[in-house]
Amino acid sequence: MTNENTEAAAPEELDLSGTIWAEVDRVLSGVTARPEPGALDLIVHIPPDEVIMGLRRLKTDEALDFNYLRSLTAVDLEEDGMDVVYHLFSTNTKQNLTVKTRLDNDNLAVDTATTVWRAANWLERETAEMFGIRFNGHPDPRTLLMPEDMTDTFPLRKAHPLAEIEILQGEGMGYPEEGE
Amino acid sequence: MVATPEVGPPGVGHPEAEFQTQDLLLNVGPQHPSTHGVFRMVLQVDGEVVRDVIPYIGYLHRGAEKLCETMDYRQGIGFMDRTEYLAAFNAELSYVMAVEKLAEIEVPERAQWIRMILCEMNRLSSHFMFMGAFGIDVGVFATPFIYAWKEREQLIDLFEEVSGDRMMYAYFRPGGLAWDVPANFKQRVREVLESTKVGIKDFDGLLTTNEIFRARTQGVGYISAEDAIDWGMSGPSIRASGVNIDVRKDEPYMFYDQIDFNVPTRTEGDVYARYACRMDEMWESVRIIEQCLEKMPDYGPIMPEKMPRMLRTPPGEVYLRTEAPRGEYGIYLVSEGGNRPYRLKVRSACLSNLQALKDMSVGHYMADAIIVLGSIDIVLSEVDR
Repeated sequence: MTNENTEAAAPEELDLSGTIWAEVDRVLSGVTARPEPGALDLIVHIPPDEVIMGLRRLKTDEALDFNYLRSLTAVDLEEDGMDVVYHLFSTNTKQNLTVKTRLDNDNLAVDTATTVWRAANWLERETAEMFGIRFNGHPDPRTLLMPEDMTDTFPLRKAHPLAEIEILQGEGMGYPEEGE
Repeated sequence: MVATPEVGPPGVGHPEAEFQTQDLLLNVGPQHPSTHGVFRMVLQVDGEVVRDVIPYIGYLHRGAEKLCETMDYRQGIGFMDRTEYLAAFNAELSYVMAVEKLAEIEVPERAQWIRMILCEMNRLSSHFMFMGAFGIDVGVFATPFIYAWKEREQLIDLFEEVSGDRMMYAYFRPGGLAWDVPANFKQRVREVLESTKVGIKDFDGLLTTNEIFRARTQGVGYISAEDAIDWGMSGPSIRASGVNIDVRKDEPYMFYDQIDFNVPTRTEGDVYARYACRMDEMWESVRIIEQCLEKMPDYGPIMPEKMPRMLRTPPGEVYLRTEAPRGEYGIYLVSEGGNRPYRLKVRSACLSNLQALKDMSVGHYMADAIIVLGSIDIVLSEVDR
């Protein structure tokens, strides 16, 4: 909604010729979307409350037809929050697109993408247990790779040290404290 | 091994109560030969028919992604080998190409040809492994396994001559190769290829036209093209459903655009189609290697002239994918500058393929669930990372 006024100036400064930004911009009219400057491939940022709407439009649009979710993951940016990253692909047009949404550290939650592609199911379970991101409305919110009871530690967060995993797994398995 | 579900006995006095059957929960794995590694699935069976499949993974989770964040780019190569251990060249390739793209390194031509040859031979060895293991799943006992092993051994011997290791090569480096191939490389590849061709023909004779094999596999484990796309499947598993996606054709990397090859597809979408796709792919790989041998220069550098001792990348991110034997092997690499990844994510083809297992096996006999699992050719170490 704010797309035309506030964000329109930025894309023109970037060199987006040769990318599908014009098409993406058309499909995402009404969604706050902006391309990331300086990226090797086209990356579109959408705020978390609109990201599922945006993804669904990208999927259902006939020209773009992003019917294939290739990868879904997150990147911990420490004090800046976390990015959830969606890598899309179209099996018909063979185009690629990366969509990102920035989550606040106070509210690490975003709606589930399983309503758009079923492929998001396990990928979201993995992202949830590794980063502590909540995917609202996920049909099967169990852990995937981690033990079932390990729901309070998030190994891929930057704040999580490597060795602590072993300490948490059980007493006697961790490294001894200094001075012991 | 067998546990009763919580549905409880049917109510007394109900007219249909006596005829109601009780579903059983049957645990398969994690330590079971037919699960190709440490994979566990709980089958809900009604007599012999599968009603539901609940897969459990994570037994081989090693945190490779987290470990790579603490190591420099060169050290990360070893972890990639250990994700996809049956096709380690392909796994390394994605990783080093991602680093190269980020650091803007130009790889010498000869190194690229060698990489292509090794990756395609790795595809052959991986598919031989599939043929052998799949034969056992189907119930042909040891014959195909030993035949496959014989051929795979020749390929692995060659990999050992080149890289010094049979499975965990760590031979590709950002920029090129660790060292040059032996002087008789081309001749050896040709020798091995001759024996491989005989091996593929043997398999064709053993399995492809075998009536019992066909009766066992045709019409089992069907998945439609729409479902396969929706689940994010890739590789031969999706091409067997008639979806023609192959990274080598869609976004040619290295010199795949200079090579004449086909992408075998099938439309049946069943277990047999997935087998047949792999079989056809093996012939295509042979064709690719033969063309590569023609085009590969005999002499030339294998690393760029100016490579820094400590490789650093500028800040940025890249998603790079290549076509591994099991499907699309992707590396999502985020860098903040410096000599190590800020975040490294491995997009596992097997993980996405495995998600569709339930769709493929529900409604079939329990024994067929095993060959459905076999037909998507999982490597659990790649699924769990």
